[in-house]
Amino acid sequence: MGTVRAGFVLQMRFYRRYPDLLVPLLTAPLYGGIFAMIMRYNGRTDLVGAVSLTPFYMSLWWFALFSGGWIIQTDRWEGTLEYLVSAPADFAAVVFGRVGATMLSGVAAFAETWLFARYVLRGDVAVRHWGVFAGSFALTLFAMAATALLMAATFVLARNAVTFSNSASFPFYVLSGILVPIALLPGWLQPLSEAVFLSWSADLLRASIATGPVPHPVRGMVMIALLGTCALAAGYTVLRRILGQVRRTGELGLR
Amino acid sequence: MNLLLIIRRAFWLGARDYTAIFTWKTWLTNWFVRVVAQVSFFALIGRMLGDPGQTQFLLVGNAVLLAAMVGMYAVNMVSWERNAGTLPLLAAGPTHPAVVLTARGSYLILDGTLSASGALLVTAHLFGMPLPWPRAAIVIALIAVVAASAYCFGILAGSLLLGFRSIQTIVTNVGLVTLMTLCGVNVPLDFYPEPMRWVASVLPLTNGLVAVRLAVTGQWQAALFPAAWEALVGIGWLTLCLLMVTALVRRGRRHGTLDYAS
Amino acid sequence: MTVVTRDAVTLAPFGVPEPELQYSAGTPAIAAVDLVREYPRKRKDPVRALQGLSLTVAQGEVHGLLGPNGAGKTTLVKILSTILLPTSGQATVCGHDVVRHGRDVRELIGVVMGGDRGLYTRLTGRQNLEFWGALQKVPRKVLRSRTEHLLERLGLAAKADARVETYSRGMKQRLHLARGLIGDARVLFLDEPTMGMDPVAAREFRKLIGELRDEQRTILLATHDMTEAESLCDRVSFVRDGTVVATRSPHAVAGLVSAVQGLELDSADAALAATLAEVPGVTSVTTDGATTRILVRSQDDFPRLLHLLADHGVTSLRTLRPSLEDVYVRLIGDRGLEV
Repeated sequence: MGTVRAGFVLQMRFYRRYPDLLVPLLTAPLYGGIFAMIMRYNGRTDLVGAVSLTPFYMSLWWFALFSGGWIIQTDRWEGTLEYLVSAPADFAAVVFGRVGATMLSGVAAFAETWLFARYVLRGDVAVRHWGVFAGSFALTLFAMAATALLMAATFVLARNAVTFSNSASFPFYVLSGILVPIALLPGWLQPLSEAVFLSWSADLLRASIATGPVPHPVRGMVMIALLGTCALAAGYTVLRRILGQVRRTGELGLR
Repeated sequence: MNLLLIIRRAFWLGARDYTAIFTWKTWLTNWFVRVVAQVSFFALIGRMLGDPGQTQFLLVGNAVLLAAMVGMYAVNMVSWERNAGTLPLLAAGPTHPAVVLTARGSYLILDGTLSASGALLVTAHLFGMPLPWPRAAIVIALIAVVAASAYCFGILAGSLLLGFRSIQTIVTNVGLVTLMTLCGVNVPLDFYPEPMRWVASVLPLTNGLVAVRLAVTGQWQAALFPAAWEALVGIGWLTLCLLMVTALVRRGRRHGTLDYAS
Repeated sequence: MTVVTRDAVTLAPFGVPEPELQYSAGTPAIAAVDLVREYPRKRKDPVRALQGLSLTVAQGEVHGLLGPNGAGKTTLVKILSTILLPTSGQATVCGHDVVRHGRDVRELIGVVMGGDRGLYTRLTGRQNLEFWGALQKVPRKVLRSRTEHLLERLGLAAKADARVETYSRGMKQRLHLARGLIGDARVLFLDEPTMGMDPVAAREFRKLIGELRDEQRTILLATHDMTEAESLCDRVSFVRDGTVVATRSPHAVAGLVSAVQGLELDSADAALAATLAEVPGVTSVTTDGATTRILVRSQDDFPRLLHLLADHGVTSLRTLRPSLEDVYVRLIGDRGLEV
């Protein structure tokens, strides 16, 4: 537990020292403004609430991709990986702690987006279904952290990780229907959407601020939990493999 | 002639750095997928609103934005140069550092033009928007002007931020979304209050985008004036950049702040 | 400067048994038997960094590893600190197998690789120590006081709350040592800890290692620096091409190379120097300022040489004992700038 805590504290300190890890917190209001502006220009004030929450999902994905995805890679660059591997503490526990800290940035992103949407963009974002909201929100944060873990692990092995993380933003925004419902995507893309936890999260969060009943809340939450768990398991497996590979081949950019 | 040679060398040097990040294959399968998705993300709003005119407006705006976006990556390029510790070497060289620096990153103009034109072509096809061929080729030239003027702006911003590491990412990201907000990408310029329009008119992208929008609808002559404005904006920023880098290097020599990677 | 014609020197056989050094009885702190480590390469034969290396280090001993770059010192340190698995062979730290009981080993050791990488540069020195201490499972209360103590002891207290990126190289290396000590390690692996340090900092560093020895910690010190090895180590092992060539106490190394002996005399003129060089058995004659050094191949060559010197009226001379550096050059070979 002490190790997880140490990882968490370390990541929080990084947030202070590397403000660029928190870039989405700066761009989120601007994106919210853009989406709300388009709706107002087109006379669709009824949609302002839903679209002004979209930056929250963008931030979540960004955090998983960047502040989570580069966790192990930066240790490789700093030359700290060898020391992490030779410490008695479980390396995976350190990574869990650090990835866990990204969940906190997710909470901050939501608070910011919601307040901006409510008080600056004047969108109707009042939560109407608290149960669905709380449940799906918590599961979403979990799934995000798990995805961050998976990326942190795979980025070490992938040769094109830089290219990927620079390119994986908008394709996933489109796929997960965080702005425009998935139903508007071409049919062949829709099954892919279901494999992205954000698509289920966005559906449920949108529904929890909408009037009227929430369609299939349980199915959605089960799916988020399931996709999160899969990412966690896959991430953990890759992490173990990486450690094995470091010890076996002496490589991973280690001198 | 000598200067041209240096510029050409610097260009290829920069281009080689670039191919360390992208190969043709990864450019197409990663980056290009991203830019097409980015344009589609916004164009889909038009589809959600059930308004083909709006779809086209958002599609063109966000496609041309890509040219400015890639041009603005010059901010990062300048800071890499510092991190790599080559900045003092540039200053020690016989050619004006701003010239070398500008030439070194000019592959970004090429990349921006390609990204934007390619994305425009593909998304126009995906969303069934007609492009008046073959004269639409002029659109590509207009896009190149946008990429170049944004690039000049980016170099200036990058040079200004030289002393502030880790702020670059913030500035590029916030800068891009600001361009996206202010320059008439997603809503027409006249939707903004007067002072904002003023700011927008001296930013890169704004005038060039107006030109592209006109050209796409076949108003070629009308497009010329805003296109010239866009070029002028770029030249203005570049001049400012040259003056500033000169001052910076001079000051750096005096105070020893042209430090190596730190 | 010394110019020695290397080929003329005969080495003492390496088979001489190690002199036994008695430290605390019982399990050795480090025991490596026949360690082999290969690094696979693409479409080429693997590189063999260790070729059957064996080494025993007693508890409380400061043991030096001497050898050129690429001799396998770093690979050995990595295997002992569980960062790397051996291809074959066995190694234990305080009786725990480094492969099967890696976790037990990691509880006991501290590792300091050379250079200034391996710290979180944007965090402060104190924050770094706190993090690594937590990873060494140091209880929080103990950690706080130990961090304070180490910062004080390593002269970092004044800059404890400054970012590591503002530290000088020497400070970073001291912080590295603090990191290695934060877990109260019984066995310390130091891989060229003074590499690139300025002489004053390096001297302080050595003083500290002496203190650590007094605390009965076992230290394995890989180094290039002969002075460092000579002043700090109870024993040194010469490593070449992935094996230990010889292990001795620094004072006993001279016995390893019987041929490296000679005489030193004041002011031999050029004519005498030329005559001396002609004497059978003399391997080199060098003059440096007012001093002339004459090296001979073996003890048997001395009488003839002394005779000749007496004939020339030379009465003031000293016998030469080979230094650790001389021995190193003989054992490892003078590779020049080759790495």
